[in-house]
Amino acid sequence: MVKKILILFISFYILTLFQSSFLVHFHFLGIVPNLLLISVILINLFESQSSNSGLFSAAISGFFSDVFSENFLGFHVLIFLSISFFIKYFFKKHVQLF
Amino acid sequence: MKIAFKVAILTLIIVLFVFLNLTPVSSKVKNAIYLLSTPVQKWFFKTGAKISDFFETISEIKNLKIENEELKLRSQELIAQNLILKELKTENEILRKSLEIGLEKEFKLILVETIGKDISQDFLLINKGSKDGLSKNLPVITQQKTLVGKITEVYENFSKVMLLTDKESSFDAEIPEKGIYGVVKGRGNFKLFLDLIPQDKEIKEGDLVVTSSLGGVFPRGILVGEIKEIKKSDVELFQKAEIQPALDIKELKFLFVILEW
Repeated sequence: MVKKILILFISFYILTLFQSSFLVHFHFLGIVPNLLLISVILINLFESQSSNSGLFSAAISGFFSDVFSENFLGFHVLIFLSISFFIKYFFKKHVQLF
Repeated sequence: MKIAFKVAILTLIIVLFVFLNLTPVSSKVKNAIYLLSTPVQKWFFKTGAKISDFFETISEIKNLKIENEELKLRSQELIAQNLILKELKTENEILRKSLEIGLEKEFKLILVETIGKDISQDFLLINKGSKDGLSKNLPVITQQKTLVGKITEVYENFSKVMLLTDKESSFDAEIPEKGIYGVVKGRGNFKLFLDLIPQDKEIKEGDLVVTSSLGGVFPRGILVGEIKEIKKSDVELFQKAEIQPALDIKELKFLFVILEW
């Protein structure tokens, strides 16, 4: 569990740096893709029902988004966690996987 | 139990963030993370800039060609404009000079530009004609108040000026210092002589010859030239003298036509 969180932490940290320092040069029509949000959504979509990785990744990526943006700490954490919860809830209630 | 645990964790997270935001810890945390990230961030930033520059250059090659052509055209336009401005500057300077001399107070003038010279036949072509109010026999002078000649033919937009040195040119003149009157006649090929000077009058080389108002052809006091060589003969009734025209044939670019005097 701790190992999983640590891996997620390091991965999202590098992803945040990549996004804030590298991808800013490649905006298309003024838009830079938000890799953190995309990753959070993908992890939540494809993880198993019982796994908590989606929630952890939402919290960690939200935290890094906050650190590297002008918002107060917790702003993106709450948004990303809400998205994660919503996806999980939606899947649990309305999607039957085999 | 599981739900209680989740709620507890969520509450803990919210409390943690509220604590972080309400105290200076938030900025300290951010600062620490920035400090730690700077080397990696720098590397990412530099690499990103290089790669994006490379792609930008490739995508702009097409534009560069178009831009180059546009700039060339613009440059030609500017050169043309510059030439016009230079000409206007010269014209302006000439007008200024003429104002200093006070020509405009003495005469009603019009500035003309020479567009053709035929020195062998002692003729000039100027860029104004009947449309601009020019007519035959109007005197033409330089900005230094030197006589050039008179208009002999007028077209709608152009006029021909017969130089004072033309063979058919003849007008009354005087040496104002000595009160001597005579007639200046052209000899062609940019040569002039003063005729009909009474034998008893003393003239010498270097005497200035100006127009007189006797014939009514030219206004009085316009410089013609200076005496170059005196030809005196006892057999003849009058003396003759060759005149060096004050007119500089190379500086006939801008002239004035006297409309009224």
